Amino acid sequence: MSVHAAPRGSSTGRPGALRRAAPWLGLAALLGLVVWRMYYLHGVNENFNAAFFAGAAVRSVQLGSLYALIALGYTMVYGIIRLINFAHGEVFMVGAFAAYFLFSATPFAWPVAVVVAAVVAYGFLRFLGFFRVLGRPVVLGAAAVCFVAVAVALASVRFGWLGAMVASMFLTGVLGMAIDRVAYKPLRGAPRNSMLITAIAVSFFLQNFGLLAFSNRQTPFRPPSFFTGQLTFQVGGETVFATWMIVLVPVVTLALVVVLTSLVTRTRLGRAMRATSQDAETARMMGVDVDRVIASTFLLGSILAAAAAVMWGMSFGSINQPAIFGILPGIKAFAAAVIGGIGSLPGAVIGGVLLGFLENFLTALFPRVGSFTGITEYKDTFAFLAMILILLLRPSGIVGEDLSEKV
Amino acid sequence: MLRIESINKAFGGLQAITQLSLEVNEGEIVSVIGPNGAGKTTLFNLITGVYRPDSGRILFEGRQISGLKPNRIVDIGIARTFQNLRLFNNLTVLQNVLIAQHHRLRTFWPASVLRTPGYLRQERRMHEVALEKLAFFGPRLMSFRLEQPVEVLSYANRRRTEMARAMATGARLLLLDEPSAGMNPSETAEITDIIRRMRDEGGYTIMLVEHKMNLVKDISDRVVVLDYGRKIAEGSYEDVVSEPAVIEAYLGKRATAEGAQIAELGAEL
Amino acid sequence: MVGAPSFGPRGVMLRRLLNAAAAVALVVVLFLVQSSGSVKLGQVFALFAIWGIATVSLNLINGVTGILSLGHHGFMLIGGYVTGLLMLPEAARQNLQFSARNSLSDFALGLSVERWMEGLGLDFLATPETLGVRFVVALVLGGLLAAAFGLVVGFPSLRLRGDYLAVVTFAFGEVIRLLASTPLLASYTNGALGFAGVPSGFGKSVWWTFGALAITVFVLARLKKGSYGRVLQGIREDEVAAEAMGVNVAYHKVLAFVISAFFAGVAGGLWVSWVGTARLDLFLFTLTFYFLVAISVGGTGSITGALIGTALVVWVRQYGDPLEQAYPLSTWLAAAGVVLFVAGVLGWLYRRGRRMRPAAHPLVIGAAAVGALAALLAWAGVFDAALAARWQGFGMRAIALSVLLVAIMIFKPAGIMGRREFEWTWLLRDKRDVPSDEERAQDAWLRVGERAGTAAEPRGVEE
Repeated sequence: MSVHAAPRGSSTGRPGALRRAAPWLGLAALLGLVVWRMYYLHGVNENFNAAFFAGAAVRSVQLGSLYALIALGYTMVYGIIRLINFAHGEVFMVGAFAAYFLFSATPFAWPVAVVVAAVVAYGFLRFLGFFRVLGRPVVLGAAAVCFVAVAVALASVRFGWLGAMVASMFLTGVLGMAIDRVAYKPLRGAPRNSMLITAIAVSFFLQNFGLLAFSNRQTPFRPPSFFTGQLTFQVGGETVFATWMIVLVPVVTLALVVVLTSLVTRTRLGRAMRATSQDAETARMMGVDVDRVIASTFLLGSILAAAAAVMWGMSFGSINQPAIFGILPGIKAFAAAVIGGIGSLPGAVIGGVLLGFLENFLTALFPRVGSFTGITEYKDTFAFLAMILILLLRPSGIVGEDLSEKV
Repeated sequence: MLRIESINKAFGGLQAITQLSLEVNEGEIVSVIGPNGAGKTTLFNLITGVYRPDSGRILFEGRQISGLKPNRIVDIGIARTFQNLRLFNNLTVLQNVLIAQHHRLRTFWPASVLRTPGYLRQERRMHEVALEKLAFFGPRLMSFRLEQPVEVLSYANRRRTEMARAMATGARLLLLDEPSAGMNPSETAEITDIIRRMRDEGGYTIMLVEHKMNLVKDISDRVVVLDYGRKIAEGSYEDVVSEPAVIEAYLGKRATAEGAQIAELGAEL
Repeated sequence: MVGAPSFGPRGVMLRRLLNAAAAVALVVVLFLVQSSGSVKLGQVFALFAIWGIATVSLNLINGVTGILSLGHHGFMLIGGYVTGLLMLPEAARQNLQFSARNSLSDFALGLSVERWMEGLGLDFLATPETLGVRFVVALVLGGLLAAAFGLVVGFPSLRLRGDYLAVVTFAFGEVIRLLASTPLLASYTNGALGFAGVPSGFGKSVWWTFGALAITVFVLARLKKGSYGRVLQGIREDEVAAEAMGVNVAYHKVLAFVISAFFAGVAGGLWVSWVGTARLDLFLFTLTFYFLVAISVGGTGSITGALIGTALVVWVRQYGDPLEQAYPLSTWLAAAGVVLFVAGVLGWLYRRGRRMRPAAHPLVIGAAAVGALAALLAWAGVFDAALAARWQGFGMRAIALSVLLVAIMIFKPAGIMGRREFEWTWLLRDKRDVPSDEERAQDAWLRVGERAGTAAEPRGVEE
């Protein structure tokens, strides 16, 4: 996977200045059109004012950040083993439900607390393992402390949203690693179609397992939190009504992306990940434990998905039933990853935010006016249509990394 | 029959073929030799339409073929084998050779479902042609071998199947990419014989890429030498092999400077 | 034909005789089913046939041509809605027209085979007796429209690689369904409500459904065995080589999509008739998942395999209800124990079959032991008090099928049948694959080493 955008142009020389400027000029033109449209709508109806669009923009960033977090999971796994992890949307779903039980069903009974704490501590252990600088005794010690602390906490205290989120992140991370170990690892080297079918099977398994184990109806997701409280601000004299989530989501997303990027660029394991994504055979010959690297990729992707899941639940106030909740966000996030450039980390973020804007801002730009019913009903298809368009016109995505094989 | 006029091909910054011109006359056997990476397979890819030349033309029987799709070029009369073997692995020998004839089928798919007399006639003909081409190699690929998936065949048999498949396309010019790769000396001798028979009895014109100089010497009417994408020599085997530029390409500058000794070595190859 | 496994000159006659006998046997079975009085049994058979058409047509793309297509439910949706709309009885149309919950346009409500027949002056084809003829017309039209969309979906297949293409086909299936509920298409689909009243005599009839299945299997089997089938398999094996051998890969890929989509549309029409209603939630991705399971388990690339897989999937769907009831936790524990035990035994057998040592791996023994213990204790009632709470087995069928699919992908990805089709020669043991004299002669050198361990002499070119 790449952290940097792929170099463009031929290697015989840099393309002309006009060619390089073209995408930016196009972007500027697009922004111009958007601003013009906003003014036009304002002229048609006073309600389409700065506050209205500001609200839409802010919500776009919020949704886009969530998509970005999930898309990162897809893009990392694809970059490493060229697999479209269909089950990632379901991992996202499990993250939401795990957090739900953590903040609504705690304190647990002792046996349950111990088991859950063990899993969380294991996830924490594997995560710390990325940071070579910490040294083994420190890592083991920290994990042991984590285990004890979490076990005690689970058995005695009601978890808040933050504790639930962090614990869920590690729980889900372990789930991601387990899926890889059980379903994908035996198929390393199998044709890609087989792996894709297996991923679909795992996805269905998780959906129905969720139905069986978690819930079979829509579930309210309302942990007590300052951030779900109302936030109002003024734009151009009008009030925008939102919650503090519009601040929390981008901030947490940014933090996680920064951590992930520094992990991938600065740690030994990150280097191993990048090497494996370019040439797994050679990496193996250079002493990289490819299986461990792949497991770590799943761990990281699932951690991010769980964070996104909790924030999603808090943003919307409820989570749908397990067989439904993860499907659309999952496939849309994948579309976002493709749009941005699959295999590229900045691509996933760009794609995610772009998709957020497509869904929230574009629908704001074409609202219900007069006899025009607006395009909100078609919102869900935007991701698919954009993805199909990108695949046909520029398959390497916006940020573009050429993953084609040589014939 | 085949005329290549000053073609160039670059991949990114790498110029794979530079100003290459070449002619192959009907009934000839022309060998293309050169060190690894000289662009021989690229040349084949250009002729068969896998790549499009950046500039220049390729003409087959007077007709421009550069820029056509590979399957069109087979229709026009050129077929090839692959350096690393590209058979339909899970399909049988017979199926491999039959697929090569599909492009000459004159009926649409409903005819194959309804098994119209026209379709059945063509199927029968395709089977006949398939057996005819496979028979070139003796009993080796016949009878029970016809129904075996090619992946269980020996390496040499797979190479032969690929050649039979190329013949079955009905092409008049065959491009053979290292036909004797991986064969032992007696198998190589046999392949040499078969290639000659292909020209003599089958009427094919043949262009081949080879590394085994004894094969090249035995069979070629003309030899073309490529190095770094350029043609550096052309002519009969003896002429070409004693050219200093050719020896330099294979053995390097310092070796060439050691004069007559090396020339002798070259003649012996 | 040369080379086909056969019995010799009398072989073709014998094969035709056996095929005819099998057909008669099938007719007898269907007759028995029909007259057994069990409505459910008939419906299950009909569902098998309908889904069989869908699976076999999906297999043309996935198994024969090697393109993973995940949008089959989209084609079925198109065919289903077209057939449903064209077959709505007059009464239902009148009701809808004056109903407040209707989004169907007057134009759409006017699309009726019955009306067309009257309009063309073919009044005898507008009578209740000729409902069947009109149904065939509606099915074919549904199939044709689906085939047109197959053309559309086929084009990306020319530019995209395997996994991306799979996602695009998936996107297509989802977009069709999403768009069908939007104002854009609601005038034809009635949006999320759909419409009821589609004549269900055909979808539920074993004769109609098996008739359609027979035609589908006939066409696709002939296609697969003929030159076009060979070429599609060649594309699956090596696209580049196929193109180098003169195959117009683009044309044939799109052809596969179009033919497959047509039959999917027909299956969709029959499916809507089976249910009696045209509804969007009949065409979820879950449908394609079932078909994928059927193909993967039964045999990718094999028509017989696809049908075997369909039988399994239909059986699970229709008779799997007991799995999804509420049972006390102790019962679930017993069931889990049994499953674990069986998994352990299967694992042991698998390891033995693959000569893996140790065959009785600790994990295998552990699983079997824990499973057996849990099952026995639960059965003995040890947990009855502690685990008396009832738990409903939501989604157990899908769980079972997904676990099966993963297991098949890991252990036997080609499925039960692989790419082979059923051959009558299988039943006549003495005609099976026995080395001929030539084969023995050519492979004689392999057996040289058996005699007193002497080294084999190189036999020259006779390898």
